[in-house]
Amino acid sequence: MKEFISNKYVVITLRVLLGLIFIYSSVGKLFNPADFAKAILRYDFLPIYFVNLLAIVLPWLEFVVGLLLIAGIYKKASSLLAGASLVMFLIALISAVARGLDISCGCFSLEESSSKGDIIYRIVQDFFMLAAVIIVYKFGDAKKEETPEVSTEISN
Amino acid sequence: MAKIYKQILIIIAISAALGLTANAINSDGVKLVLYKNIYALDTAKQKKSITDFVNDPFDTTSNKKHNNVLSGQMNKEGYIEPENITVELAKNIFDRNALFVDARTKEEFDSLHVKGAINLPYEEFRSKTYYQKIETMKKYNKDGLIVVYCKGDKCEVSIDLAYEIARLGFTSVSIYRGGIKEWKEKGFPTEP
Repeated sequence: MKEFISNKYVVITLRVLLGLIFIYSSVGKLFNPADFAKAILRYDFLPIYFVNLLAIVLPWLEFVVGLLLIAGIYKKASSLLAGASLVMFLIALISAVARGLDISCGCFSLEESSSKGDIIYRIVQDFFMLAAVIIVYKFGDAKKEETPEVSTEISN
Repeated sequence: MAKIYKQILIIIAISAALGLTANAINSDGVKLVLYKNIYALDTAKQKKSITDFVNDPFDTTSNKKHNNVLSGQMNKEGYIEPENITVELAKNIFDRNALFVDARTKEEFDSLHVKGAINLPYEEFRSKTYYQKIETMKKYNKDGLIVVYCKGDKCEVSIDLAYEIARLGFTSVSIYRGGIKEWKEKGFPTEP
């Protein structure tokens, strides 16, 4: 098992897949901070002062992290950030379920029509993504010779 | 390890710069800091209803007030903040002869609106001077029930127009976010 998940091609596939998911989930929000702020507000989770700022920056963070994951640049840093945001989403999602909030997720699209079952599904999905992030973080740099031009760039 | 932290900071800085720039050039951009949840519904209030009061939107002399179900708090700026209402409460006060204000454009208003509603296109209203606004609104009852709506879904001009009206001293302005879309779906009275 360990051999399989540390396999270079498995790790690269996971990394690119994660990058694509991050980009996919961010594009609808990049130029729509108002709707994303509303989605965040529905969670009733953050002090409202931070809601708009998060709605402005988070989609772009997802987008940039997605690009970096696909390109394989700053692999450790981008997978750490991906993991941190997934943990944050998980906490928000689980707390919403625990408090019985009847809200849609706001994870990918910003439609308000999705139901509670959708949130459970997102939580499961998040756990799988988190597992993938851990694999990418742990084994992403296993083969140093894989992208030599990148390692020179980040060593300065 | 320190290298990773540096990279993380770089990524966050780039994302923040991109986000703030995109928001600044975006015509649908938002304020950086939100002070009040303008999208929230006060659920306790939504369960109440007005029964023994009939609103007269054009009575500018009367001090007759409804039972305060639909009056929010006076804020620091000295006006009473509009509050969001559900379709049920909107219908309840529609039946009590509330003044419905349509914040959409004239064309949209002419094609379909809540029965008896007046049209104050937000963009037009906003560009008026303070005295022109007073002039437009002085024929309406300051303490009367006012419900502002737009098309529903994601439209926000109802929120903006409601605050404009409340700033003029109207004491019971509500925002019906469901808008004409939900109103029509419910089969409630519309014109033409």
